[in-house]
Amino acid sequence: MLPNLEDIDVDKIHGRDDNARKDAKREVDVDMNPMVDLAFLLLTFFMLATTFSKPQAMEILVPAKAKDTDAIKETPVKESKTMSLILKENEISWYRGITDPETFEIDYDESELLRILAEANSNTTDLVVLIKPLPSNEYADLVLVLDVMSYSGVERYSMIEPSEFDLEMEE
Amino acid sequence: MALLRNIKKKPKLDMNPMVDMAFLLVTFFMMTTTFRPELPEEVVIPPSSAEVKLPERNLATITVTKTGMVFFGIDNKFDRRELLGRVGRDFGITFDESQLNSYSLIATAGVPIEKMGEFLNAKVNRVPFEQEGIPLTDDSELSFWIRNARAVNPNLRFAINADGETKYPVIHEVFETLRELGVTRFNLVTEKTEEDVAKS
Repeated sequence: MLPNLEDIDVDKIHGRDDNARKDAKREVDVDMNPMVDLAFLLLTFFMLATTFSKPQAMEILVPAKAKDTDAIKETPVKESKTMSLILKENEISWYRGITDPETFEIDYDESELLRILAEANSNTTDLVVLIKPLPSNEYADLVLVLDVMSYSGVERYSMIEPSEFDLEMEE
Repeated sequence: MALLRNIKKKPKLDMNPMVDMAFLLVTFFMMTTTFRPELPEEVVIPPSSAEVKLPERNLATITVTKTGMVFFGIDNKFDRRELLGRVGRDFGITFDESQLNSYSLIATAGVPIEKMGEFLNAKVNRVPFEQEGIPLTDDSELSFWIRNARAVNPNLRFAINADGETKYPVIHEVFETLRELGVTRFNLVTEKTEEDVAKS
């Protein structure tokens, strides 16, 4: 037989007397300050270490390397339709045509480059711009030129190896 | 009397909501932060007006420092394991489990393949190791990395992350290596110029 519920002395079963009950009732105080300090320290660190700006990218398309078995697919271009940009260390030399050209120099300056490109593009149909970086060229300048090309309106441009004539221009 | 007792009572401030908030933010920043890969030299990327965002996945990065050291890395941890295994096989080198694990945690690495084991052991033991770049001269090791990376992940896109002061011959070498392997479309990592930011 089970005893009546009222008869069960709960405190006795749990071994608690009045004193113990008082103890249990006492509030537990945890000092959270160190934890908070740490949380904020980490927060500050990660906030300062995070960079939200993702790098941008410029897309480049290059022609696939011709295999020996391929028939020659290169299309000849009229000399008069070409414009060469020789990228030197601190300036760009440019000329029209290939044979005995008259060369000009400009600085690595977006607006100046844009101006000569626009001029050449307006008086030549199907202009082909040949970009020839010399070994002394720095990558940032190449990127600048490619960047200007991308919005200059010139439809055909490519990076090619400098000719001997171009290499002689190296100071 | 009543007034006095009120003043004496310790003011209690419930800090729990603030702590919750702080930890929430900590978690957020911890999750979103990606640490910059360790490189012996800082890479200052050149400015341009390009506005294409780099993909976050399926990306292989070729880093070039201004002295011409080349580093290579792909984005996925599991792919990295397989990549190292494959490149090792090409050179007749086998890497053990701890070396593979160690490589899978490195975002970008630039050591000649014969020193790779040594480099990874140094990483495991937390010993400093000077990286010297992937050799480009005769029988460029870079092409092995690129070819195997494409075999591991055919959807891989390539980004060239080069310092603005790098001289052209190194860049040319990297371009040509990509071209030879049939990678005709790739990205140059640039930083948006400040004037353009102001304009938009």
